[in-house]
Amino acid sequence: MIKFFEAVFQNLSTWGLPVLVLILGVIEFSLGLYKKHWSKNERILDIVCYTIPKIVVRPLVTYFGLKFLPLVLPDLKSVFDWVPFWWGFFILCIADDLTQYWYHRLHHEVPFLWRFHRTHHSAPYMGMAMASRQNIIYTIFFSQTYLTTTLVYLGLGYPALFVKGIKSIITTLAHSSIPWDKPFYEKKWLNPIAWVLERLISTPATHHAHHADSNDDGVGHYKGNFGNMFFLWDIIFGTGIITRKYPSGYGLKHYQEEEWYAQFMWPIFKSKKEGSELSANGPMVQDDPIPVPVAVRSEEPVIGKSKLELT
Amino acid sequence: MQMEPRIANRIVKNVLLSIFIYALPVILMLLTFYITGERPWEKKAASEQVSGK
Repeated sequence: MIKFFEAVFQNLSTWGLPVLVLILGVIEFSLGLYKKHWSKNERILDIVCYTIPKIVVRPLVTYFGLKFLPLVLPDLKSVFDWVPFWWGFFILCIADDLTQYWYHRLHHEVPFLWRFHRTHHSAPYMGMAMASRQNIIYTIFFSQTYLTTTLVYLGLGYPALFVKGIKSIITTLAHSSIPWDKPFYEKKWLNPIAWVLERLISTPATHHAHHADSNDDGVGHYKGNFGNMFFLWDIIFGTGIITRKYPSGYGLKHYQEEEWYAQFMWPIFKSKKEGSELSANGPMVQDDPIPVPVAVRSEEPVIGKSKLELT
Repeated sequence: MQMEPRIANRIVKNVLLSIFIYALPVILMLLTFYITGERPWEKKAASEQVSGK
């Protein structure tokens, strides 16, 4: 039995995941879940973000694992390979996913870091097309990749195969525009499972809320729900909101459909769109328009603070 | 643009809690070995001696 699961996860780490992404993507398109948002600029950006890191980042991580670590930690290769499987699995789940939680959260909460993660949030849709959509700098410095590679070098390679596989499935399904979690909320007898599931792992409902273009509907929560594999971190740190609903819109209210190359390569390439966060003199964080009561509304459009700083 | 002090304080508190969470599985593993008397690293050392590593 264990050999069967081993084969499943080994295949998942090579061709399995891309095939899963492809199948889900085809279903999403067939169901029209991207609506009319997938413009040429978005298409190029999504495809470039999916392919280029595989050519650039993978060799970098391989070099780190096969050359750099043996150089700096020459006597520590496989030093912890005696760690029993389930303990290794437990250690890796926490080390990998908590590190990613912090990497992700800091890119939202530290203004200087936001523009490296903005590309992932600019997509006005959810689904397989945008799941890998990231700025190249964000992808290169994915901290948990290097931590997990180090733990593999130290001897936790076997449990890492399973942790990485399970994590890939959960994060892929959380980004999908197929609301596979809906039956768990609608069918009463599945409610207890939903209660555990939505607190333990990222689901479309909680992760879509993180990608919402607004918090005004009481569902969107783009300043929280940072969890990737585990939602538990958001529960522990108080950064999560669970509503069992899906937001009405995705992306950024102030999105200017910046050029794909600027979104992928900022700050190496900058956007020509005036006032954009990715332009040469753009604001670090562009706040959303602030709704103002009619009684005090002036003739001038009211916009976020950082946009005002520009003018 | 500066980070709000409320958010900075929350980050510091949560980082401290995270350090404990990172250590938790290792602490629990060592505690289990202590209680059960299990010494898996000794098995590894013995097998290495046999194989002459």
